[in-house]
Amino acid sequence: MLKDSELIRYSRHLLLDDLGAHGQAKLKKAKVLIIGMGGLGSPASLYLAAAGVGSLTICDFDSLELSNLQRQIAYQSDEIGSAKVTLMQQRLKKLNPEISVRCIANKMEEPQFNLELLLADLVLDCTDNMPTRQLINRVCFNGKVPLIVGAAIRFEGHLSFFDHKDPDAACYHCYAPSSVDPQLNCSNSGVLGAVVGVMGSLQALEAIKIIVGIESTVKNKLKLFDGKTLQWQSFTINKDPNCQVCGKK
Amino acid sequence: MKITVNEVEKEIQPSSIEQFLKDIDSPIKGSALAINGVIISRVQWPNYQLQENDSLSLFQVIAGG
Repeated sequence: MLKDSELIRYSRHLLLDDLGAHGQAKLKKAKVLIIGMGGLGSPASLYLAAAGVGSLTICDFDSLELSNLQRQIAYQSDEIGSAKVTLMQQRLKKLNPEISVRCIANKMEEPQFNLELLLADLVLDCTDNMPTRQLINRVCFNGKVPLIVGAAIRFEGHLSFFDHKDPDAACYHCYAPSSVDPQLNCSNSGVLGAVVGVMGSLQALEAIKIIVGIESTVKNKLKLFDGKTLQWQSFTINKDPNCQVCGKK
Repeated sequence: MKITVNEVEKEIQPSSIEQFLKDIDSPIKGSALAINGVIISRVQWPNYQLQENDSLSLFQVIAGG
């Protein structure tokens, strides 16, 4: 049941045929783990908090730096040096006091990840490096927790959804099989802030759709966004039977 | 035979994906490839034979955020 204050706060959601009071109640019950509070995690966390996702767990071990502020829009210039999760928790609680926000301020290893996944309905990978992305995919597959992956560099964005509850679904490793490839990241290649913002916002959009039961069109897909032309490409990711993560062992 | 790579037409000798990428000096590591809209996993690249009129999309895997 939604309180009076929630009926007003979410009134624009309640007008949506595809969401309504039923969908809003699902959002309130939902538990989402967001890993990475940078350029993707900033808009993703803000939108999920604003949308009324009842339990958010946010994870990052970095402190805010001056060079983050060009794209990590949840933070302010006078907050440099503070832990991002602490800043984000304060920001989200101010934005929406109706929800619960829990912080993880350390780099999670596999045992802690496995415990956290017991408390999560859905995971958003908003991280910035390939080894962590591979770890997140592996633990989410093992824990059967659906995973929304976003990434951005330069003017390019990538978006995927891997439904680890579905045994026939592909996983991130089916598409990006190596954790030792040369890595492109924001600090060595640059990124336009608005491009990473688009991708983080889309991760939030897909999360909301999945929670309320609107079919995600990025399941087993890789969507490529070109920020220069605004064109999208869409590719199917089939389950690789020989995948080291989700293939037959 | 004719194929297209990122919407550019190319005339190539019959070859595997891996051989083709070597022939055009395209890096294997860090790359992803789709043929006719379907991602082909990297373990298949040595043995996957390109076909006439295949449409290849070659791009880099990105991890930033």
